[in-house]
Amino acid sequence: MTHAVENPLHHPEVHQASLPGYVASFVITIGIMTAALWLTEKGSLSAQSLVGWTSLLALIAILIQAYWLLHMNWSKAQVWHTVAMVLFIPLFVVMIGLTMWMFHGLYQRTAITMPSGMRTAPAMHAATGGVATTTKEAAKAA
Amino acid sequence: MSASTNTRAQPGSTVLWEKGDAAGHDMLGTRTFGFWLYMLTDAMVYAALFAAFGVLAHNAGLTSKSMLASVFDAQAAYRDTIVLFTSVLAYGYAMVALKKGSRGGVAIGTAVAMILGLVFLAMVGSDLERLFSQGIVPQLNGFLSIVFTLIIYHALHIIVGALWMLVMLMQMGRDGFTSNVVYRLINLRIFWHFQAVIWVLLFVFVYLQGKII
Repeated sequence: MTHAVENPLHHPEVHQASLPGYVASFVITIGIMTAALWLTEKGSLSAQSLVGWTSLLALIAILIQAYWLLHMNWSKAQVWHTVAMVLFIPLFVVMIGLTMWMFHGLYQRTAITMPSGMRTAPAMHAATGGVATTTKEAAKAA
Repeated sequence: MSASTNTRAQPGSTVLWEKGDAAGHDMLGTRTFGFWLYMLTDAMVYAALFAAFGVLAHNAGLTSKSMLASVFDAQAAYRDTIVLFTSVLAYGYAMVALKKGSRGGVAIGTAVAMILGLVFLAMVGSDLERLFSQGIVPQLNGFLSIVFTLIIYHALHIIVGALWMLVMLMQMGRDGFTSNVVYRLINLRIFWHFQAVIWVLLFVFVYLQGKII
């Protein structure tokens, strides 16, 4: 980010563009999304495995997009963008994770009467090992 | 650590930065970095919405199974994915043309990206219309509210992006590749490509994982 140039087209950020990179990102992420859809539609995985595998595929797709689309790299032109992104990711994950964890605890401790068929969030469902996802299942288990 | 950083700054005598168009000041880099920080802030709004989705999924049982199956139509969302990613690829082509200084290439790439963005909006819009006609509306319960909010909030970004592309096509035709036009095209690249990243989260964590709620 510390390059002074006269012609804006010579700026390093303009020169980050790469057709092979964009095409590779497109092909690979479409492939990953197809795989995630196939896993979901196949329906042979447990809820816990499905959440785990599709989340892993999403993570890989995002890393690929971050590198080829958003140009997250350690070049002089992009280093501070990358640093900001790296520092941002924990905030993003903590915000979602902590909120869900707090409310999951709240629901359990306050023993709110749940309507029939009420379920937990997919990620929480996976975290609890797929135990008693619905009140019906809980009653059946009892 | 260099000697200069160990030296104590003298108020009133130490030059911290030059005012105006100082040599070495990178206008493009500063503006794109500022916009990148804005996009990360926007992503925190998404974080809040995804957190609410995770929390309100607890109430998903208030929605019937058939309604949930209609909302989480993974096949339709997959078609949206292909259109949006193709639009992102088209804007990538525009950025490659910018690198080569080809005004025609940038215009074609931007126009194709904009049209595909509009196609994406039409597909999402028709999907929402289908749900509304079945009586599946955000007012039914908190869970549906957050699902619709996530989908519509992302669609609003696509509307903004499509409008921005239209404005850039006009500015480029009028001014050519001036500094202002170039940094706005780069910022649009950051904005548009970021929507693809957010869509991966929406597709996987809402549409696909929503099917197992």
